[in-house]
Amino acid sequence: MNCESCELKELEVEQFEIREALRCILHTIFFHRALGLVRPRDVDCELFELTYVQCGVPEVEKEIEEKINEFITKVSKHPNRRNQICLSFYEMKSKQSAWSSSKTERVYWERWFVNLQIINQRVNTKSKQTRVGLDHGEFTFEEKKLHRSALEASIRENLLRIIKFANEKMDHLPHIPPNVEGISYPYEIAILSSAESSLDILKRMLQTGHQTTLS
Amino acid sequence: MAAQPDPGRSTEQIVSQFLSKALHAILAARIPFIHGPTIPTSRPPRKRDRWFHLALGDPPPALEHPSGLLPNGVMEPLVVDILLSPREDPTMPEAIVERWVAQCEVPAPWSPLHSPAESSSNSFLVKRTYKKSIILLRSIYSVLRLLPAQRVFKMLCASNQSYNYDLTYRVSSFAEPFSRKEEAEFRSHYFSPVETQYGQLAVSVQYRPSLSQFNLEISSLLPPMLITDYVGSPAADPMRTFPASPSERSATRSSISYSFRGSRDGRPSTSAPASAPLFNRPHSWTGAPNEGPSHRAQPAHQPPTGSQRKPTFNFDEFKFSPPFYMSPTPSPPKFSGSYMQSPLRAESAPVSIPQSGTSKVKGLRSPNLSDPTRNFLPPPSPKSARTAEPSSQDSESKSFRKPDGLRISDAYSNMYGTPKGPKDGKDDSGRFSLSGSPRFTFSRSSSRISVPDDLDDPDFSYPFAVDDVDSSDSQARSNDGKEALDFGHASSSHKSQDAAVGELVHMLKTAAPLRDSTYSSQSSKSELQEEGLGSTSSFFMSRMASDALDELQSYKNIKEMLLSQSRAKLHESLRRNN
Repeated sequence: MNCESCELKELEVEQFEIREALRCILHTIFFHRALGLVRPRDVDCELFELTYVQCGVPEVEKEIEEKINEFITKVSKHPNRRNQICLSFYEMKSKQSAWSSSKTERVYWERWFVNLQIINQRVNTKSKQTRVGLDHGEFTFEEKKLHRSALEASIRENLLRIIKFANEKMDHLPHIPPNVEGISYPYEIAILSSAESSLDILKRMLQTGHQTTLS
Repeated sequence: MAAQPDPGRSTEQIVSQFLSKALHAILAARIPFIHGPTIPTSRPPRKRDRWFHLALGDPPPALEHPSGLLPNGVMEPLVVDILLSPREDPTMPEAIVERWVAQCEVPAPWSPLHSPAESSSNSFLVKRTYKKSIILLRSIYSVLRLLPAQRVFKMLCASNQSYNYDLTYRVSSFAEPFSRKEEAEFRSHYFSPVETQYGQLAVSVQYRPSLSQFNLEISSLLPPMLITDYVGSPAADPMRTFPASPSERSATRSSISYSFRGSRDGRPSTSAPASAPLFNRPHSWTGAPNEGPSHRAQPAHQPPTGSQRKPTFNFDEFKFSPPFYMSPTPSPPKFSGSYMQSPLRAESAPVSIPQSGTSKVKGLRSPNLSDPTRNFLPPPSPKSARTAEPSSQDSESKSFRKPDGLRISDAYSNMYGTPKGPKDGKDDSGRFSLSGSPRFTFSRSSSRISVPDDLDDPDFSYPFAVDDVDSSDSQARSNDGKEALDFGHASSSHKSQDAAVGELVHMLKTAAPLRDSTYSSQSSKSELQEEGLGSTSSFFMSRMASDALDELQSYKNIKEMLLSQSRAKLHESLRRNN
């Protein structure tokens, strides 16, 4: 089975926007991949004029929040790095080898890469430069307004991209277990930074032994 | 219950259910108040929820029978137009803001999909069709939230004010193509088709990227309404329950009427009396929402106004308000069952409660059951007022029920003593104050009325406070005894005071006028005699103890007077003799 991967457009977010941006994206992905019975729940973003859908599975919501908190903590410790969250879906398969007993291993069949660029420092730098001017307040506000609009458009574009990808790539999906509610496939959420992402991918390639298709 | 279709389930059923569910999702996300209440998570999923693993709740009655959606089969396209209809100016044309098209496209004869599949692969194809349909439905659901019309929908749903536009819909099997100019104003989004045995199930949406041209704004606030049956008004029937809002009232009415219509002929129909059944016409039906709060008081189903609107389709259209459900508003204030069933409630008006302490005692002095309206009402104790409060379940009813409950409870307590309050405290006001009728109270507790535990106010005593035989009421029993003793002590001292007052009054009435002593003595004697006879006769009219004391005192006075007169006469006679 091929492992399909989808790399989303990089988002330039401020520190306080990370949570909402990640919620939109991760929940939308889950909504399209949690193929058990769900009770969808609309959520209006607080920072953006966006409405996304949650699948209403408390465990998923909890894990997403935990990972977002972890991500925010990591970002604050290591600023100015390209940060990435990787949401992977896999299935457990037993692998029989000639010289060892069978063992179960994870076989990833889909990966989603969410790329974030934290821009706190850049805005602050600019604001410092404009403090001398008389209209530095208006400039900062205008810049933030533009940034917010651009980010909202980027998130919307990413959501549509997720929907398109989820809609187009369906043949690789494993069989849906019967009588399941909520999550139908096991998953994992990994936080990667710019220095780790390529190494981590290489590690996984070696572990799984599958070719990763690039989007 | 299997979530996935059995291998034997036909593709036709899957497609039919898919179209129905897609329509449900579209209408729920575009037409305000058409959707039912939110599904409680505790409710087990129903069969219709399990279709495509997407629980959307109860569909509108129009979608109860998905087979009626496409009477000509699943190969017929389903076209759903979402329109912005101007409310204030019906002459203005409606504008389509979204057009959803779902259809099963027959593959070309040369297409590999055209060849009939083997039976062994049919099952596999059905499963794959179903799996992909699940994802396709999720995508439709998500895209609905990302399109510009979602914002308009949220505005119309969130606000209680009426806007100058309404979101309406039109479902048909044929859609007139857009003109070139209109086409240029729309963008398209195509979902990946799902392969089925009948072809490819394709869904697409054409939408306006911007709705700023419609200048959506608040048209008017809720029209001023004169509420004549407000809570506590003399005209209001106190037994009547008040709905939460006019919208809920009309929603209830409309939903009931619509469901009746739906069940009458087995399929949803329009409101127009001359209209044909819904799907006998060329597969089209339209709906307008309840049109905001200002229109909710109107009948839910109005005669078709198609003549006033620009016909955009080449078949008749029927306008009706789609079925809508009661909005999830708080429940209206309601009386408790016992409260409503109490006969006392129907008999007596709220009784005023005197504030003075003497009046309280007065009431205790004369427990005349034959005259229940006598003013022997003790003032309410603070605890009695608390227990008369309504239950905490209905916060809206608190302010409404409290004063009435308090008054009625006092009427009860004053006449028969307050019955025992309920232990659970669930509905304290009704049960505490009006736990059945007074007669019921008597019969239940063997002519004994227990004092509630929380009425520990020492100043509050009942005319018939007696011990309760119930073992759980031991505390009340002690309170009862104490109050009974207090009752006895208080009465004797108060009786003397009342007697004194009565005597004083009587003396004032019967006091001798300020005249000549000779004349006055004779006249007063005669007067006194007359009055004494009169008063004597009147003395015997009242049998009350205070009256008896008065009588006694008056006798004493008369005696004194007579004696003084006799002495005076004696002195006079002696003087004359001398």
